[in-house]
Amino acid sequence: MQPGPQQAGRANKCVWCGTVVEAGQASCPSCGAAMGVAEEESESGWVQLPARKDMAKLKLGNSSCQIEGVYVPVADMNLAAGDSVYFAHHVLLWKDPQVNISTMSLKGAWKRMFAGLPLIMTQATGPGHVAFSMDDPGEVIPVPLHPGQEIDVREHILLTATSNVAYDWFQTNIWFRTRNGKDTETHYPMGMYMDRFRAEQTPGLVLLHAGGNVFVRDLKPGQTMLVKPSALVFKSPTVQMQLHFEHPGLAFSMWAPWGNRYLWLRVHGPGRIGVQSVFRPVEGEQANVVQWSNATVTRW
Amino acid sequence: MVETGQSPAAEAFERIQCQWCQSMNEKTAVACRACGAPLDIRNLVSDSGWREAPRIRDMTEIQFSSSTCQVEGEIVPVAEINLGAGDSVFFEHHVMLWKDEGVRLTVLQLSGGLKRAFAGMPFVISVATGPGRIAFSRDATGELIVLPLHPGMELDVREHAFLLSSHQISYSFVRIKGLANILFGGQGMYMDRFVTAGSPGVVILHGYGNVFERRLAAGESILLEPGAFLYKDSSVTMNVEIQKLGTGFFGGTAMSLARMTGPGRVGIQSMYVHHHTE
Repeated sequence: MQPGPQQAGRANKCVWCGTVVEAGQASCPSCGAAMGVAEEESESGWVQLPARKDMAKLKLGNSSCQIEGVYVPVADMNLAAGDSVYFAHHVLLWKDPQVNISTMSLKGAWKRMFAGLPLIMTQATGPGHVAFSMDDPGEVIPVPLHPGQEIDVREHILLTATSNVAYDWFQTNIWFRTRNGKDTETHYPMGMYMDRFRAEQTPGLVLLHAGGNVFVRDLKPGQTMLVKPSALVFKSPTVQMQLHFEHPGLAFSMWAPWGNRYLWLRVHGPGRIGVQSVFRPVEGEQANVVQWSNATVTRW
Repeated sequence: MVETGQSPAAEAFERIQCQWCQSMNEKTAVACRACGAPLDIRNLVSDSGWREAPRIRDMTEIQFSSSTCQVEGEIVPVAEINLGAGDSVFFEHHVMLWKDEGVRLTVLQLSGGLKRAFAGMPFVISVATGPGRIAFSRDATGELIVLPLHPGMELDVREHAFLLSSHQISYSFVRIKGLANILFGGQGMYMDRFVTAGSPGVVILHGYGNVFERRLAAGESILLEPGAFLYKDSSVTMNVEIQKLGTGFFGGTAMSLARMTGPGRVGIQSMYVHHHTE
């Protein structure tokens, strides 16, 4: 008897990206997640980035990408002729001499310059190998995008993306203003802008690099959660964000200048969010906050 | 009639002792419920007597009073606490990663806390009270070290190295007199002290890089790079020694080392900031 199509598939659906994977494959060709490994979900509902075997290989059309190393992973792209990827120039680790590097001008460059973001994205075109890595221990997150899918990413997290993925950015609208005497300063705990990646007609791949370990969860409609602003790695465009101030109980009045408050990012579902376990303290959290973007407050 | 094997009653009493924290565990357990150390892996002890801190398996659960702690991730691990109603943990606020909105936050009143500062902020110990979930992590690669404390135990910890502690433990800090600038490179004049009162509790530390522990016999001593010091039993004494290094030119240079003298445990971390010596 011939095996039916369902049997041939053996229900090997990648738990991470949903790609149907042929039986016998050790890892998912779209995102590199190890197959046959149970998803590790914490009791509170965070899912750990799937275990990725060292040297896991991802297919992207005629090109491929191998993720090498476990402390500071390297994304080693083997680009087919005519295929290209874009990246910020400081993440380039090595390349074959024949890989052509060119610049990709970005729309709205003046506002990016104002925000301190890279003005120019660099593009590498195949055939040949080109490899990328960032400068701190962490994980590479492959995000395969199906046509029409999009993802919002905090700035400076992009490692590289295939050139068929459209790149845009938007204002986070998450800010607060502090005053010290006559000095006023505006702080953007999430950065002023967030990157948005969208696959148009063809499937694309975005590779991100996050510090430490990465955890992901799907928020239900209306579900909220407090996370440290610099811990957020990515979110679905449907996830809304706002500031949240939390004042702990039992405060000493003499600590008033510090404000005795914690500053959070409040995320609202529906949609997926990713956080990294390494994060920076919020600059200006302790200062005299005089103005802020839309925020909620809890006083204990 | 001769019975083979053990009676069910005898089997029920069979326990495995965790070699890291000495807690007793069920025979079938693969990780210690008090400290998360794997029970099915041999201790890794170097020839010189340093024991590698147990590498807590991803998603291991630890229990304390009516709460649980799940350790997640292996690069910069996260301690995720599910607080039972009425249970609480205390911590330095800059280690909070995320929390449920309903978890109540308060601050501990500390005498002398205002003299201490961290990143320009007054030194404040925050308290999270259950029910609900809250998660903690620190800013660099390392290991979580779970140290269950039994009544009567006293532990001294490098400042800012503790991630959280359960509420049964009382917290204070000691100023390392006279060693200020030598020992911790200018700002680290304090050491956190954890003491258990009536009931057992748990302290969770984050060590940078890898963590190793050694038990010193009474009178036995070892010299440490001060930046590597992570924790010690309070029975272990710490003194600074200056080692002169002649270079053949002018005055030469000097380095300061911490002399730790037993009896008790000493924990060190392998990644540290090397403070310039004078």
